[in-house]
Amino acid sequence: MTTITAPDPSPSLSSVTTASHPRPWRRELRALPNALSSERIKLSTVRTTKVLFLLTIVIDSIAASATAKLVTDEVLTVSKVFVYPAVFTAVFAAISGILMFTSEAQHGTLAVTLAAQPARWVVAAAKALAAIAVAVTLGAVGMVAAAVGAALGGLALGNASAMVATAGWALLYTGTAAAIGLGVGMIARHSAGAISGLLVWWFVAENLLRTFTPPSIGRFLLPFDAGYRTLGVGSKFDTPEILAVALRGPQYALIFATYAVLALAAGTILLNRRDANS
Amino acid sequence: MITITGLTKRYGDRVAVDDLSFELAAGHVTGFVGPNGAGKSTTMRMMVGLTRPDQGEVRYHDIAYADLERPARTVGAVLDAQCMHPGRSARNHLRAMAALSGIDARRVDEVLTEVGLDTAADQRAGGFSLGMRQRLALAGALLGEPQVLLLDEPSNGLDPDGIRWLRNHLSAFAHRGGTVFVSSHLISELAMFADDLVVVGNGRLIAAEPLAAITARTETTVVVRTPQADQLIAVLTQRRLAVRTAGDRLHLTGTTMAEVSQLAFDHGVRLVELTETSRSLEDSLLDMTKSSAEFASA
Repeated sequence: MTTITAPDPSPSLSSVTTASHPRPWRRELRALPNALSSERIKLSTVRTTKVLFLLTIVIDSIAASATAKLVTDEVLTVSKVFVYPAVFTAVFAAISGILMFTSEAQHGTLAVTLAAQPARWVVAAAKALAAIAVAVTLGAVGMVAAAVGAALGGLALGNASAMVATAGWALLYTGTAAAIGLGVGMIARHSAGAISGLLVWWFVAENLLRTFTPPSIGRFLLPFDAGYRTLGVGSKFDTPEILAVALRGPQYALIFATYAVLALAAGTILLNRRDANS
Repeated sequence: MITITGLTKRYGDRVAVDDLSFELAAGHVTGFVGPNGAGKSTTMRMMVGLTRPDQGEVRYHDIAYADLERPARTVGAVLDAQCMHPGRSARNHLRAMAALSGIDARRVDEVLTEVGLDTAADQRAGGFSLGMRQRLALAGALLGEPQVLLLDEPSNGLDPDGIRWLRNHLSAFAHRGGTVFVSSHLISELAMFADDLVVVGNGRLIAAEPLAAITARTETTVVVRTPQADQLIAVLTQRRLAVRTAGDRLHLTGTTMAEVSQLAFDHGVRLVELTETSRSLEDSLLDMTKSSAEFASA
């Protein structure tokens, strides 16, 4: 026979809730480690995260190996190729960010989360930090897989001195992609809609915009293009007009990060305004 | 004490909850009843901050829900038993909830045992029956050892044994000083363990009073079967008692079984059946909410 450990009636609610004034943000901030811990448990206990890691390893290594074997018109090394598949990693990171929110919304656990943590910005901040942490780990795993794939494809290591800096930009790229994904997920609240919308923008709309807008304007309208350019990898589609107005890596990173901040801000505002079930 | 004051929620032109005010006492099980679309779920969602009211407020011992230092330690809520990731095990579902509220992870196994899910702790929730999901959702509500339980249709999907288990647990919780606010469409079930009832219709409060007060107002009918019906009807009409014939039985209102028995004995009328029936609580509540039912049977 088990019993419910119901409260002793004597102390009443006042014993656990002593404040009758609005919660200051500092007190809410102290709840952030708990929210982060909860996100870590959620991420580590669903198959989606493991599948995304597995896909990153398989696809990045195959892509790097295929590049090593099939590209013959330029001299490639592992130190160059290890970052080429970062775009695939960034896609998986963005999908991970989307699902971190949309799967909660679709399975109803968002209501459980928001009932336990009424300060919704704390939930949004914890999810953003967790999404970036997963994406950075995905980025690191993807680069190792790509380096191994390139080496197995027969490439020499090459100049390893610049690899650390390139890897740092790649981690920033995947982390920011995840933040944008989370923001899009918070806005759309629907997994399939958010993923398809993001991918269509990334691989269709940006290419169209690049073609039909002046490069001096288009470089500010193409967040994922800007993100990829932080890696210092050139594109065969770059025209002389595009190259003439090209920005430096940190400037592209700033453009990409600005879009991430805007997406997260819009998502957080909507999270605050919407009912938890809508 | 939980105080709900002037709670109002509109969705476009439709008023889902209309100026709802009532109080919930500690140590009581309060039933929340009303027809579909009466605003029960919306009210409960507003009570835990999931839906923002247009007007009004809910205060837990004079503190708004959003201002509670650790909400899960004050209020445990089950508003939808389906709220769990199907790919996550029961234990991991509760671990994530416990971490969010800063509750010791050891409490997870305790509540799993409390709700009888200890043997299914590592099974994925996607394979759970509705009854098991209800138990898991209740385990989540109990994690923080709260003083208040808010439960929306908690007996949905439970088998008779599960319903009895739930009834006993909620009664025990209230007897220990906790506040239980439970909505259910099983009025007869609520009548077995609720102390008070809050009745709503069309989002408006119809009644908020002890169950005993509602039961006391229910009309009693004395049913009589006799081979000397005409003689008994004459006696009863002399006494200005309302008599209705239904087949071979007489239905009498405004009297008692003892009075009818005495009258029949005094006038030499032989009775072959004498019973007393009350309209059920369900009938009374249906009458109370009839005009406000959004969807009604013909």
